[in-house]
Amino acid sequence: MKPSLRPRQGAFGSFGGRFAPELLTPALEELETARREIVPTRTFRDELDREARAWVGRPTPLTSAPRFSARAGLETVFKREDLLHGGAHKANNVLGQALLARHMGKSRLIAETGAGQHGTATAMIAARFGMEAVIYMGEKDMERQAPNVKRMELCGAEVIPVTAGARTLKDAINEALRDWTASLSTTHYLLGTAAGPHPFPRLVRDFQAVIGREAKRQWRREFGGLPDVVVACVGGGSNAIGIFHAFVPEESVRLVGVEPGGAGLDSGRHGATLVRGTPGLLHGARTMVLQDDEGQILEPHSISAGLDYPGVGPEHAHLQETGRARYVAATDEEALAAFEVLSATEGIVPAFEPSHALAFVLRARESGELPAGARVLLNLCGRGDKDLETYFALDRSR
Amino acid sequence: MSLRSLRTALGRGPSVSPFLVLGDPTPEVSVELARAAVSAGAGMLEIGFPYSDPAADGPAIQAATGRALAGGTSTRRAFELLGRIAEASPGIPLNLLVYGNLVHRTGYERFTGAAADAGASTLLVPDIPIDEATPLRRACRRSRLGHVELAGPLTPAPRLRRLAAASRFLYLAGFQGVTGVRATGFDGVLDRVAQVRAITDAPVCLGFGLSSRDQIVRAFEAGARIAVVGSHLARLVGTLYGAPADADRLVAGYRSAVLRLTAEE
Repeated sequence: MKPSLRPRQGAFGSFGGRFAPELLTPALEELETARREIVPTRTFRDELDREARAWVGRPTPLTSAPRFSARAGLETVFKREDLLHGGAHKANNVLGQALLARHMGKSRLIAETGAGQHGTATAMIAARFGMEAVIYMGEKDMERQAPNVKRMELCGAEVIPVTAGARTLKDAINEALRDWTASLSTTHYLLGTAAGPHPFPRLVRDFQAVIGREAKRQWRREFGGLPDVVVACVGGGSNAIGIFHAFVPEESVRLVGVEPGGAGLDSGRHGATLVRGTPGLLHGARTMVLQDDEGQILEPHSISAGLDYPGVGPEHAHLQETGRARYVAATDEEALAAFEVLSATEGIVPAFEPSHALAFVLRARESGELPAGARVLLNLCGRGDKDLETYFALDRSR
Repeated sequence: MSLRSLRTALGRGPSVSPFLVLGDPTPEVSVELARAAVSAGAGMLEIGFPYSDPAADGPAIQAATGRALAGGTSTRRAFELLGRIAEASPGIPLNLLVYGNLVHRTGYERFTGAAADAGASTLLVPDIPIDEATPLRRACRRSRLGHVELAGPLTPAPRLRRLAAASRFLYLAGFQGVTGVRATGFDGVLDRVAQVRAITDAPVCLGFGLSSRDQIVRAFEAGARIAVVGSHLARLVGTLYGAPADADRLVAGYRSAVLRLTAEE
């Protein structure tokens, strides 16, 4: 890394920064000030803890999974973020950011959504706090996640179809950024993942870090010591950074992020940004990006709408560059098989997103990616209700 | 060389600067449009490189970008078209508007070098703000390409001074938001131009939302030296261009539209 490439604000090594149009600078500076001055206060922490218990449903349990572990040949324990309100880890972040927005005097929340989980979580918190919510969602994602669109509307949010580009998550983020540029005095952009311009990657990480903090404490109490490996799926990377963060200083703990391998890494139809991408500037940060040799952003592919993103949070790019975390990919096919295995062995129907992490654990011993005897903590970041329609439509006769 | 054309142009008096996307609606026709704009009295041109994710642009320029990419205008091709435009219009300063990832991917030095070689005078990268622009500015300096910073309606005075000091001319976005034609609120824009003129001596280039001769005249009266018209013309290209056979009609229509923006009455 050339030292000159280190971003000036919010850097993670040579990644991160604030590569956003000047017109957004006032909003980003206001948010950074609020992050520094409001988030650490006692009042804010108390409110956050109270709502996290009463509304989000924290803490979530650790669940050992003997039958799944037998299949994998590795002892595996799940952090049950799938049990959170709304069905995914997204609630941690929307609660934190909506509280902050309220402290900042903003009355309107905007958000992008891919699978609809973050949009739904935003719609729910907006309803609870009596705020207006506008959700940008790619037209293609609205088709494949129709029940979530209805759920957002039921909670009073307006869902705006995005027709630009491939009509998926990336385009929804562009549209939300455009809205925010015009509306920043009344509006908070509730970004759903640990990506984007500074301060979003830190803000989102800090609200998701409760996952790893809790899991570490619970593991010590229930099993003693630390897990050998922590595994999570990575799209934008908020659930992964959420569970990794507390373990980053623990050098004995391996961190593995699993990206969507789509139809296979060599097919060109995947979303494995860290595994196959190159450094670039996307959505406000220097990070790893799927792009062509001139810098046009490529369209990713994944069965999971929530992982279908050509960028990734800059902190993951840094953890990869320094070797602290390792990133691998699991294909659509592997993820679907893992989805079936977990449902049948443990009676837990996972979302397609963590099914990628499950797929890695299922193959890791045989492939030699993890050693025999490794004890695995896996972030089960969402439940599969939203994916059932898609799954049944696949009509898998195996 | 091309930087000198900027100084000369600024010395001549206020300039109308149409914005066009290289390759919109087709590579060949975009070169024709640039020539038509200059023949219709444009004193400068603002030239966009097509990019897949133009997050600072509204619908009209997004559509223009989409047409250019669909027509196969790669960055390599864009440089070639830029060279032809510069050749056809000597003495007309060309300000490039390029999203950061295209510059980053090619490499700051290589990109600014190629831009200067092709005849560009200045470069504005909307998503590399001044705080992250040090490597880009260094590359511009080495390539003898002017660097232009963007300021907005909410940019506070101290930051405006910093932006102006780092910039060949200060590109002021008249409205808070993405590019696009606005029906109302222009009086506030004029106040802002006057305010910015009072804060800095840098030449002010006003963009975002302009669509008529009347607005341009008032912007010049308020002290702007350059007035950019983008979305209004991009929309016209979208409306007039349906098929390759429409090219002549499009170029003629575009030329009259620019004439209406530059004509003294």
